[in-house]
Amino acid sequence: MANRVDPLETMPVSRYARSVSRGLRLWFGLMMVFLYVPILFMIVFSFDESRTPGLPITGFTLKWYEVMLGNRVLLRALGNSLTVAAIVAVLATTIGTMAAFVLVRGGIRRRNAARIVFTMPIMVPGVLIGVALLIYFARVLHMPLSLVTVVAGHLTFTVPFVVLIVAARLQGFDRALEWAAADLGASPRRAIRHIVLPLIAPAILAGALISVTLSIDEFVITWFTVGAQATLPTYIYTQIKFGVTPEVNAVATVLLGVTLAFLGVAALILSRGRALSGRLRRRRPTA
Amino acid sequence: MSAEIVGGAAVAPPTTMTIGRGARLRQLAPFLPAGVILIGLFFAPLALMLVFSFWQTNEKLDIVATWSLQNYANFFDNPTYVRTLAKTIIIGAGATVACLLMAFAIAYFLARYVPRRWATIALLAIVVPFWTSYLLRVYSWQAILGEFGAINQVLMGLGLISEPSRLFVYNDASTFIVLVYVYLPFAALALYASLERFDFTQLTAAQDLGARPDQAFRHILLPQIRPGIITACIFVFIPILGEFLTPIMVGGANGLLIANLVSNFFRNALIPEGAAVAFMIAALVTLLLIVFRRYLQIEDVVARG
Repeated sequence: MANRVDPLETMPVSRYARSVSRGLRLWFGLMMVFLYVPILFMIVFSFDESRTPGLPITGFTLKWYEVMLGNRVLLRALGNSLTVAAIVAVLATTIGTMAAFVLVRGGIRRRNAARIVFTMPIMVPGVLIGVALLIYFARVLHMPLSLVTVVAGHLTFTVPFVVLIVAARLQGFDRALEWAAADLGASPRRAIRHIVLPLIAPAILAGALISVTLSIDEFVITWFTVGAQATLPTYIYTQIKFGVTPEVNAVATVLLGVTLAFLGVAALILSRGRALSGRLRRRRPTA
Repeated sequence: MSAEIVGGAAVAPPTTMTIGRGARLRQLAPFLPAGVILIGLFFAPLALMLVFSFWQTNEKLDIVATWSLQNYANFFDNPTYVRTLAKTIIIGAGATVACLLMAFAIAYFLARYVPRRWATIALLAIVVPFWTSYLLRVYSWQAILGEFGAINQVLMGLGLISEPSRLFVYNDASTFIVLVYVYLPFAALALYASLERFDFTQLTAAQDLGARPDQAFRHILLPQIRPGIITACIFVFIPILGEFLTPIMVGGANGLLIANLVSNFFRNALIPEGAAVAFMIAALVTLLLIVFRRYLQIEDVVARG
């Protein structure tokens, strides 16, 4: 493992080393600006009075948030998005967790092939999944496009996400804990219920939160599988295509805040879980 | 296709234990819902798309099931389509190289010069934009490049131009910038994950043994982080093959990429034609994934959120 002592402190180095490290630091700063400036502008413009958002800022207002809250169509789209996300999260988490158990413990040979199979829906661009599902629903199954087809579309990539996250966690699971439970008379079912599930709960929860986030934000697949009822991203998209509407910036800012809150919780849970299982592992006398 | 491998392997008994077929099936049962989703909502639709791509559309926009390679032939006969495909690959490759170089400097800095605790926080800060809405991230660039965007306002404020210019948006350059912006976090994550495992004292050792810094870099560092480099390339290049939002939002009238072609075919109800283009992209993506499967470390990028 790399030791993180600044190499400049410990060894004779070339005379360029110091400027290299300084240059890299500057570059890192620039990149952070690059990554955050567009987002910052969006947030700032959501508080700007002008109808055509842009510099210079004409004045502070919460008007657009008010407009947003009064916009029935938008609120309905938000409601649709939340409903879809909730259903997707519950289904994807349950289905994905079950599959992860089989994948890690089911003695499946060619596990690498199985991993590729689960990687594909994540890696294949959304447009392809979207149009393939559109043909499938509209031309083969003759299903009307609705929020049901949207949920189905979201499951294609959220289930693999949950599988990968939970499987990664199960892989690192110390099975001695389960054997101990069995020694003490627990049935396999009880051992899973009382030992395994609580310990992998952080991964499951993180999977659920990530599913919610991905589902709420998903635009491309939704765009092809959505019927008359818009979700928030498809609504925002049509608004943007009609022209600049300042309330979109307000919606974007709120959405950003909610996403960050969700991810923050997910990250916190994951790191808590890691710390917990780390402690358990350390407590065990080493063989 | 590959799904059957899982199914096929599943029947085989595990390791040394001998258990009944019934018990084995019970053990595999929890996999069923995921299998149904994977096959029913992913592989089957893609396979059907392939079937449709061999069919035709008649004058009344009905789909007729006559099998031919006509849609593929038409695609390659149309110079505009071929140019769009070539352009997508060129822009994709260019954005991949740009992301790789930009992200490498970030990852190298974080892995070598920053204490791990801070590096983790910095990495989180890089990932956050990637987890926020893709639609909004693309849209937010209009606030900078657009007619009323920051660049125009600053230039007007400085008196360099008198009215908003459309020079900064609706062209290939703006598409390129936004693509790099959108996919940079992927590359940074993938590269950091492999640089983090690299022992930098090896570079010093190589130099002690007489290697020039660039030799040490090329022969010691690069081979060891190859999986990270490949993962980064794949995570930037493949999504760009399917990128259709960025060209619509900030690209010009001629700035369409290959996925826009698919979406336009579908909008005009030319489903077999669209399916043919979509399938070509899907085949390319699958090929890349299979060729590079050994190096691809998806968990490094995905499971870090």
